[in-house]
Order: sequence, then structure tokens, then C-alpha cells
Amino acid sequence: MTERPEAMAFASAKPATVDGRRLRSVRTRQLIIAAYLALLRENPQIPTAASIAERAGYSVRSVFERFPDLHALRVAATDDSLLKASLQVVARTAVGSRQDRLKAHVETRGRVCEEWLPLWRALNANHGDSADLQARIRLIREMVIRRLEEMYELELSTLEERERRHTVLAIEALIDFESWARLRGPFELSFEDACAVWLRAIDRILPPTPPVS
Amino acid sequence: MSLRPVKIDGRRLRSERTKQLIIEAYLALAQELSPRVPTAAEIAERAGYSVRSIFERFPDIRALQVAVVDYSFAQISALAPPRGGGADGDRKTRIEAHVLTRGQTCDRWLRLWRSLIVNQGDSPELRERIRLSRDRVTARMELMFAPELAMMQPEERRQVLIALEALTDVESRARMREFFGLSVDEACLVWTQGIDRLLPKNSGEAP
Repeated sequence: MTERPEAMAFASAKPATVDGRRLRSVRTRQLIIAAYLALLRENPQIPTAASIAERAGYSVRSVFERFPDLHALRVAATDDSLLKASLQVVARTAVGSRQDRLKAHVETRGRVCEEWLPLWRALNANHGDSADLQARIRLIREMVIRRLEEMYELELSTLEERERRHTVLAIEALIDFESWARLRGPFELSFEDACAVWLRAIDRILPPTPPVS
Repeated sequence: MSLRPVKIDGRRLRSERTKQLIIEAYLALAQELSPRVPTAAEIAERAGYSVRSIFERFPDIRALQVAVVDYSFAQISALAPPRGGGADGDRKTRIEAHVLTRGQTCDRWLRLWRSLIVNQGDSPELRERIRLSRDRVTARMELMFAPELAMMQPEERRQVLIALEALTDVESRARMREFFGLSVDEACLVWTQGIDRLLPKNSGEAP
């Protein structure tokens, strides 16, 4: 009788030893990233190493033990935020009626914009020549496009390629981070009212929903 | 007759000319360095004056930035056709005229606009100008799309205007051109199609 691989793995498994030092280091790293993001939310200027260390409750040396420089910290903070934002997005499924999908899409996008706008601004203002940060900006934009293609697949499927692309890009322009910032800032709309502006506009831009067979 | 020949103050004229050349030097550098603000030394070198000459005319770089933005806004206003320049045509003509003008404005001022957005800081003067610029875009659309907007209730009209402003934002144009690699014509088509769908249709007018 051949033993199943998972059974073999189980037989050979030893009690997992928790490396406390490593765990603490990971926790410190997370707290430094959280401090960096918290400072960005308070002030659009890039935080200094000293201010990040102070907010996180560590020494400047601790910051640079975990990140070789502030650029590496910016990249790590971006990746961390990207992961969290992705989880926020995938939590809402792309099924349901047109109105259900519109509501799910704009509410999720609104929450992502609300939470990650300061980081997004810092990323755009300070990417400079960094290939790492530019790649992440590209990735975020591609994710936004993919998400709306997924949410409105039914409606977009009725369009020929060129018109479909134009429609997607028009919606992308509409739901940009800075569009959200203006809705909530200068136009002083509540979260719900800002979502209503996006929802109505996307609804107008999309073609009619085809009957589902 | 009491009219005397107007005396031209040559010193004042030269000073105004220097001021103008400093503004133009800043603008040229902003195009190259955006979003970074050029230094006083860079501006002086480009304008062909001393740093002292700059600060004799502008108390600080912020005051120069404000003067540059005002000068640029005046040029942008001149770029937009006056009332009647496309605003009286049929729906298709008005949408296309608006998209063309707005696209040209965005292409021309993108770099200065980015610099303004990134460096506005706590300056009430620069923030006021950003607000004014956005208000002008909205006012222009209210003029261009008056027949369609008149068909809507106030709240709906407000929502559509906000959406139109977002659609035709400077960065929307920049993304289409730089990031998505669209040609000028394709980028105009995205806006034309988007505006056409956002505006209500008059049953009597061809789409």
C-alpha cells in the first residue's frame, strides 16, 4: 500500500517551533509601515525617518535595520496597502443585477479611494525615477481596469472592441482617486452622495444590459 | 487742445519686460522639471538676469508661482473660443468643439498643472487658483451643453456636471495619452463618447 503524500507529510511533521525573534521583527516591520501610512494620512509631505521611528515607537536604527532606505520602506508600504486594497475589492463579488453590481463597484472603489488616497498621492508625487514605484502605479491602474471589466462584463460584451475600450477608459477617468477627492473635498459630498454621482454616471456611460439567456 | 503727448516711462517698461521674461523662464523650466519647482538660480539663469533681479520684482518664489499661474490662466482663457465659437451649434458640433479645446488646453498645461497641484502646499493663493480653474471648466461646460443641462432637475444637473468635470480632467487626458497610449484623436473620441452618454438626449436631435 502506498502512503498518501499528505499522510507522509503529517507523519514527518514535527511540532512547529515559533521563532519569537522573527515574529517580533515582522511585527516591528508592520508597525513601521503602519506609522509611515498614518503620518502620510495626516500630512502629504513624505515623513522623515525620525518621525516614522517616533510614531512607531522604535529608534531610527530599528527602521533602517528593517528597510535599507526610505525608498524601500515606501515600496513595502505600497505593497502592503495594495494587498489590503485588493482584499477589500475581491470581497465584493461581480454578480447580480446591473444596479447591484453598480452599487457594489462604486462603494468598494469609494472605500478604497477614501482609505488609500494619501498613499496614492505620495506615490505619484514621489515616484521619481523609481522603477519599483512606477511598476506599482501601473499595476494599480491595471487592477482598476480589470475590476471594471469584470463588474460590467455583461454590458461591455455588447460593444465592439474599440467602443468597449473607450467606454472602459471613460469609466476609469470618472472613478480616479482624484475624482473621489474632489467629490469629498471641494464638492463636500457625503460618502453616499459621492457614490451616487459615480453610480449614475457609470450607469449612463454603460450600454443597456443584454437579456441573460 | 489740452492733450499732451503721452510720456513713456522707459524704466517702468523695462521692468515690466524683465518681469514678463522671468515668468516665461519659469514656465519653460516648469515644462522641463515638473513637478519640481525651479530654483531662483535656475530661473535667473534661464531669463538672463541675476537672482537679485527676480527678488526685486517678486518677494518670493511663491509670488512668482502665483504670477505664472495667472499669466497661464489668461492664455488658457484666450485659447477657449468665445461665446458662439461652437456653443451655438448642434449637439455633435458642441461636444466635438468642447473636446477639441479642452484637449488642447490639457496637453498644453499638463506639466504646469501637475507642478501646481503637487506644490500648492498651504498657499491660499494657489489653492484659490486651482479652484478657480476647475470652476471655469465647469462654467464652460454649462455654456457648451446648456440645452442638454436645461432638461435636467438641479440635483441631476449638478451630478452630471461633476461627472463631466472628472471625465475631462487634465490627468484623465494625460493617462489616456501617456499610460494607455492613445493618439490625440482616440483620446478625443473617448471624451466625445463619454460626454455624449452622460448628457440627456433631446428627442428632436440626432445623436
